[in-house]
Amino acid sequence: MAPRLQCAAARGLRSAVNTSRIPARSALLYPSTLTPSTSSPRHYATASVPGLSLPAGFVPPLKPPTARPADVRKSQLLRSYTALLRSTPLILMFQHNNLTAVEWAAIRRELRKALSEVPQGTAPVDISPTISLQVIRTRIFDVALKIVEFFDPSAVKSTMTTAITGKKVPTVYNHDLSKAAYEAIKDATKEGTPESTVYAQLSPLMVGPLAILTFPTVSPAHLAAALKILSPSPPAFPAPTRKKSPGYHDPIVQGGLQKLLLVGGRIEGQAFDIDGLKWVGGIDGGLDSLRAQLVHMLQSAGMGLTTVLEGASKSLWLTIESRRSVLEEEQKAPEGEGEKKPEGEGEKKE
Amino acid sequence: MITRFITHVTTRFNPFSPRAKAARLFLTRLPPGARSDGMAITTELLPRTSAAASSLYIKFKDGKEMNLDCDTMNIKGIVEEVDRHSRQLQKQADLDGS
Repeated sequence: MAPRLQCAAARGLRSAVNTSRIPARSALLYPSTLTPSTSSPRHYATASVPGLSLPAGFVPPLKPPTARPADVRKSQLLRSYTALLRSTPLILMFQHNNLTAVEWAAIRRELRKALSEVPQGTAPVDISPTISLQVIRTRIFDVALKIVEFFDPSAVKSTMTTAITGKKVPTVYNHDLSKAAYEAIKDATKEGTPESTVYAQLSPLMVGPLAILTFPTVSPAHLAAALKILSPSPPAFPAPTRKKSPGYHDPIVQGGLQKLLLVGGRIEGQAFDIDGLKWVGGIDGGLDSLRAQLVHMLQSAGMGLTTVLEGASKSLWLTIESRRSVLEEEQKAPEGEGEKKPEGEGEKKE
Repeated sequence: MITRFITHVTTRFNPFSPRAKAARLFLTRLPPGARSDGMAITTELLPRTSAAASSLYIKFKDGKEMNLDCDTMNIKGIVEEVDRHSRQLQKQADLDGS
């Protein structure tokens, strides 16, 4: 049994078996089983018995700690994927067809090199070390996508549960592994997901072995650098030249890249195909320049709006003015020139 | 899947279509060293709005060509179809070798 278990879990098991379980049992059972006929008052194992408390590291014998490492446990993976999806605005999805470990290492090395050469610009922190390419478990990622889109933790109602003191207290179970989350995604996908949801657009991508490249912010410069390495397309995103980065033209890297297939992406919660990703990667100057363009557009639109509004009142004023001059001439014509000038001026003021 | 006798693989699919599944899974069945062993593999990704059917073209060493319909066949059917011919070639190769 011992060699099969991972060390941390094995330690937990051993402590459960050796120390906590047997003393607890002996404390509970031996007085009553060894001396059943004595007239001493019986002791029952309740929480209120003084001096009879479970040790801190007690592990229930029927619920031993898991022997699997935490990072491959499905529940932990699901939680990490939902956290990733909620916090990461820019994700590229790749299909990887039997890449070897050496090829992965080489591709990650080239990617890291290319990303570190991206100028930081006006960004407060350099995000290039936090951009990572990781292989995911596709089905669990698919469930995580559903939870992120269809499950609203704030809408979960509280349930009454018994606390350790025996009181009934309201508790909210709204974590991603909860029954509420399960039921929410079941309900949402029961009769097929409507096309408008992002999950319905992304779910066809969740097929076969997948790897994701995650960016902590939407940075078109970094996205362009990554696209140039992982999925080069000559006019806009050329691969680095042999002279500039000889490592990229290594047969191991090239062999790996041939097996890596960019299938799509998710930017700010929206599904993007390759052309969309290229468009985002092609934004010059990043988000700041987009904002500047927007401000410029709004300003010029505002100026246009004021001239348009002014123009309407101006034209109204002009027509009324011309009409008035016409009327004045008509008035003058029948009455002749005997009219006094001050009265005419008074009429003008009205 | 027996991949020894395949020389050309050409796939076209729109990854945003559920019908691309079989073609994509076929690519994952090819061994890591397929390209270095002389298999020519080309993959064409269609844009997201494209409604074209996903296609899979396979050419064998003896010159037999297969155009498999990925829309109606699943990966099991495709593998079965490819292996049926590969087994014949395997048998022939075994007889020649011994």
